[in-house]
Amino acid sequence: MDTHFLHSTLLLGSIIAPLLAGVALLFGASFGASLRRSITLAGFGIALLAAVILAANFDAALAGGYNFETKIDTGLSAVGIFLHLGLNGISLPLFLLAGVVGLAAGLYALHSKAERPHLYLGLLLIMQAGLMGTFASIDIFFFYFFHEFALIPTFIMIGIWGGAGRRAAAMEMAVYLTLGALLSLIGLIALYANSGAESFSLAALREHLAGQPLGEVVQSNIFALLFFGFGILVAIFPLHSWAPKAYAMAPTGAVMLHAGVLKKFGLYGLLQIAAPLLPDGAANWFPWIAWMALGNLLLIGLVTLAQRDLKMMLGYSSVMHMGYAFLGIATFSAIGAGGAVLMMVAHGLSVALLFMLSTCIHHRCNTFNMDEMGGLASKAPLLSALFVAATMASIGLPGFGNFVGEFVIFVSLGADTATRWLLAPAALGIVLSAIYGLRAVASIFFGPPSEAFRERWTGDAVTDLQNHEKLPAVLLLASLLFVGLLPGVLSGPASAELTHLYPEAVEVSVFDQTVRGETNAGQMEDVHE
Amino acid sequence: MTVGINAFLLVAGWLFAIGLLGVLLRKNTLVIYMSLELMLNAVNLALVAFSRYNNTMDGNLFVFFIITVAAAEVAVGLAIIVALYRRRQTVLVNELNSLSR
Amino acid sequence: MNEILAEFLRGYTATNQWLAILPEILLALLALSLLAVEMASPKAARAQVGRVAFYGQLFILAVCLIGCFTGPATTGAEPLFSGMIEQSGTTQFMRVFFLLCSLFVSYLGGIYLERQPLARTEFHHLVLLVAAGMMLLVQSAHFVMLFVALETVTVAFYVLVAYGRNSVGSLEAGLKYLIMGALSSAILLFGIVLLYGVAGNPALAASSSDSLQYSALAEFISLHDGNLLVRLGALLVVAGICFKIGAVPFQIWVPDVYQGAPTPVTSFLAVASKAAGFVVLLQLVQGPFAGLGALLVPVLSIVAAVTILFGNCAAVVQGNLKRLMGLSGIAHAGYLLLGVIAVASGVAWAEGAVLFYLFTYLLGSFAVFAVMTFAAGTDDTDQQISHYQDFAKEQPFLGGVLAIGLGSLAGIPPLGGFIGKLFLFIAAFQAGLYGLLGVAILGVVISIYYYFGWIREAFFSHYNETVPTKTAILPSMRDRLLLGFLAAASLLLGLYPAALSLLP
Repeated sequence: MDTHFLHSTLLLGSIIAPLLAGVALLFGASFGASLRRSITLAGFGIALLAAVILAANFDAALAGGYNFETKIDTGLSAVGIFLHLGLNGISLPLFLLAGVVGLAAGLYALHSKAERPHLYLGLLLIMQAGLMGTFASIDIFFFYFFHEFALIPTFIMIGIWGGAGRRAAAMEMAVYLTLGALLSLIGLIALYANSGAESFSLAALREHLAGQPLGEVVQSNIFALLFFGFGILVAIFPLHSWAPKAYAMAPTGAVMLHAGVLKKFGLYGLLQIAAPLLPDGAANWFPWIAWMALGNLLLIGLVTLAQRDLKMMLGYSSVMHMGYAFLGIATFSAIGAGGAVLMMVAHGLSVALLFMLSTCIHHRCNTFNMDEMGGLASKAPLLSALFVAATMASIGLPGFGNFVGEFVIFVSLGADTATRWLLAPAALGIVLSAIYGLRAVASIFFGPPSEAFRERWTGDAVTDLQNHEKLPAVLLLASLLFVGLLPGVLSGPASAELTHLYPEAVEVSVFDQTVRGETNAGQMEDVHE
Repeated sequence: MTVGINAFLLVAGWLFAIGLLGVLLRKNTLVIYMSLELMLNAVNLALVAFSRYNNTMDGNLFVFFIITVAAAEVAVGLAIIVALYRRRQTVLVNELNSLSR
Repeated sequence: MNEILAEFLRGYTATNQWLAILPEILLALLALSLLAVEMASPKAARAQVGRVAFYGQLFILAVCLIGCFTGPATTGAEPLFSGMIEQSGTTQFMRVFFLLCSLFVSYLGGIYLERQPLARTEFHHLVLLVAAGMMLLVQSAHFVMLFVALETVTVAFYVLVAYGRNSVGSLEAGLKYLIMGALSSAILLFGIVLLYGVAGNPALAASSSDSLQYSALAEFISLHDGNLLVRLGALLVVAGICFKIGAVPFQIWVPDVYQGAPTPVTSFLAVASKAAGFVVLLQLVQGPFAGLGALLVPVLSIVAAVTILFGNCAAVVQGNLKRLMGLSGIAHAGYLLLGVIAVASGVAWAEGAVLFYLFTYLLGSFAVFAVMTFAAGTDDTDQQISHYQDFAKEQPFLGGVLAIGLGSLAGIPPLGGFIGKLFLFIAAFQAGLYGLLGVAILGVVISIYYYFGWIREAFFSHYNETVPTKTAILPSMRDRLLLGFLAAASLLLGLYPAALSLLP
């Protein structure tokens, strides 16, 4: 009982700490640099620490229920809304992801040269509070609420500190995301109103709907609302056009948190809420999901190939890789969903790392145009090594988390004859991402330095990574390797939960093999090294 | 021969419609004003007629309120028109277009 | 003789319970005493009139709140003055609502009048009368009472809108408001007359000799919901009210009047007048027109859909901020109609949702209008979006309040406006208004363009040219307190919506 109280307080603290730190910084125009630094570190640090401690104490045997539950009345109890927090096997990996990427973004942002740094860090911390809250919420209203909470600072940060096209990018993003958010909100309300559970709590909804599932038409309609709402938030093809622009304009801290963590909200919603509660609706919409995911993989993959601006390329590639997670969800099996969870975590880490390194490259080359870069490897070997590693990870090289995720998703696609045809185009996506990834590496780091930058090259202006850049980069890369080599730590609780959520799935036995497959892959990697 | 309630209502309805069209179609503010008065008086006529045929006094009382309110409205309205005429030298609504820019 | 008089007076007070309308009486007394103060005091001291009005209203607000908390628990409507007035939790809430509005308007009016060569006392006097009239309006349970209260409000508003006598815009707005207001009153009246006549017809079942009274009318209409005169009368009454709330197709006066009126008066119109209209509409669809759901729900649904779309689409292309606020106010009226329709189709708690939305609308709108009053400069009718370039850099405090106000109006969490929309949407969903919900979503998405466009102008600096801007008045400590209260209340209602239920 006591430890339960301790843990649930810790869970609440992981939201409150960054929030308080953020609010303090917003009003802290007069704070000195060191005070600002300690407040920022405290905010992000407590969040990650809480996440790690909770993960260590996580009890996977509670599958179907929640660990560390707390329930607080915020005055909406009349419509069945409580601040109901807790973690299960699906939310735990993402909760950890938010903690890790948050700290990395915070560490990096501390040294950003943004005007009005107190505002910059404060908004980043508020965003972090929203992220932690999103994945810790059992109540689907607060799940949505925290997401919006994290979204507002993103918009403001792009508007104030973004690149040259920021005004238009911020606007486009705001309009798209409002549409997506409202569609999903109506979907959630529909779920609440139609279920008759008189509660917004996911646990209560799940219990209620298990007893009396909704009719197929209702399920199909609600699923459509949730799918398109969440889909816009995840930038599914063809509703993706806001994402690359916003990412290209966004300041580094914001883009790390948004592309790395916040965008996973939609997938997480589909995985945790839409698919398990509305299985018939999901089945009806399967062709849509599959084709739109293929659009992400292939069409956006081709668009990525054409990008010569590093940040635009990263933006498009991050959108493209979401396609794999969609495919994993589209199988509606515990195994595919498990792959999607791993994919989301690994993708979040690698994308955050890539965006951060792209800013490091910009500091050295003063441009994002890859045609004007070249030969950076000789000047900044560590930077190039890290960038190469991150690129390899996002392509899906064994040893990194992305590989495990993609591999499991492929296994799940192959397990069912209805989805087997998707394997070929999905594999083609990997080829595409290998082409643009390696081409980017080649044109940035190798070859002769371009004419325009020869001058800079001769002086000491171009240096390798500084300590403040190394620290977050290493943190992210280490986590990426951890997920790649020991995926069981995350996939264990996730699979326990998922087998609960997708009970009809016949592939449960296959899933065991897959876990073995993952370990084999890990061993293979060992052999390689 | 007694005149039925329907006849009164018909007249009231006509008066109301004439007033309404006057408000919508005429350009001169003063004529619009008169049309408004016509509408209110159509209401008064109907009220008195109903009051008589239903044998309740509320309608008659209501008429007094309406007359009072109409007087107040006209007082305020004429004051505004006079103030506006001093500045713009016109009372035609299609020439009163300083807004909407 | 004296005994008879005493007896009469005793009987009079016993049946009429004057104490029940103490706040309204106090407001009227305060309004009159302002005129007396103006006459009695030397010219130099007349600047104090605004202060007297402000603190007087604070006192009345306190009386009102004490009355709410200590008075007899009002469960359901309580008829007073032989059925002229009915008080309920809703009307108590609206009293506080209108008093808050008039407080803000008096305060902002003081700031506006400092820059204009206009008389001060009458402004405060009229604001107080309007507040008292609105309080009676929402409590009336009889059409004569409704009409008299409504006209008190409207006639006072004619003067207030035209208050800027030195500005052609203000006078024009006053004239337009007067014509449209009188027209809507006439339409409303004709509807009332038809209902009165048909419900008092002794030949029909359940006819009443007191056929202007809501409850008598409700009984009659529930039996005769197919009667042509009943339907026509109800539609005319609803049309008259739609004028007041600015619903399409009765919205034509809104942009011009909002632009021409002095900014504090615009805020009064936008918030209090609209709220009064909605509460009356709610009372009608729950009371006398309860039996007409089959007629009113489709009509109001069409009105709501068109209103939302028109308001938002027209606001997107609008550069003048006062017109923009007017047009966005039309859109808000559309969202609120969603709640009214939900009530009319049987979701009773939607009334609470409408009231909550109105309250968050009050907080958000007054925050925005207050900032506009500070930033208006001397030409009150000319407030362009481009005047707000780099506003937040020069006036960080006002910029913050503006952002919170606009965010709340746009319905962004964690601000009060979001919770308000959430309640309305849930209510609409439960009433099965799926099509309208779709329209409402579309409207909210469109509204992001202009609300965020304004925020963008104020916060995100340009790279290139500079446009002439206006210099805003620097807010004093007292101003900051008031504005801070508005912003904090918006935030509080977003994070802890139950705070509002502390009010009755």
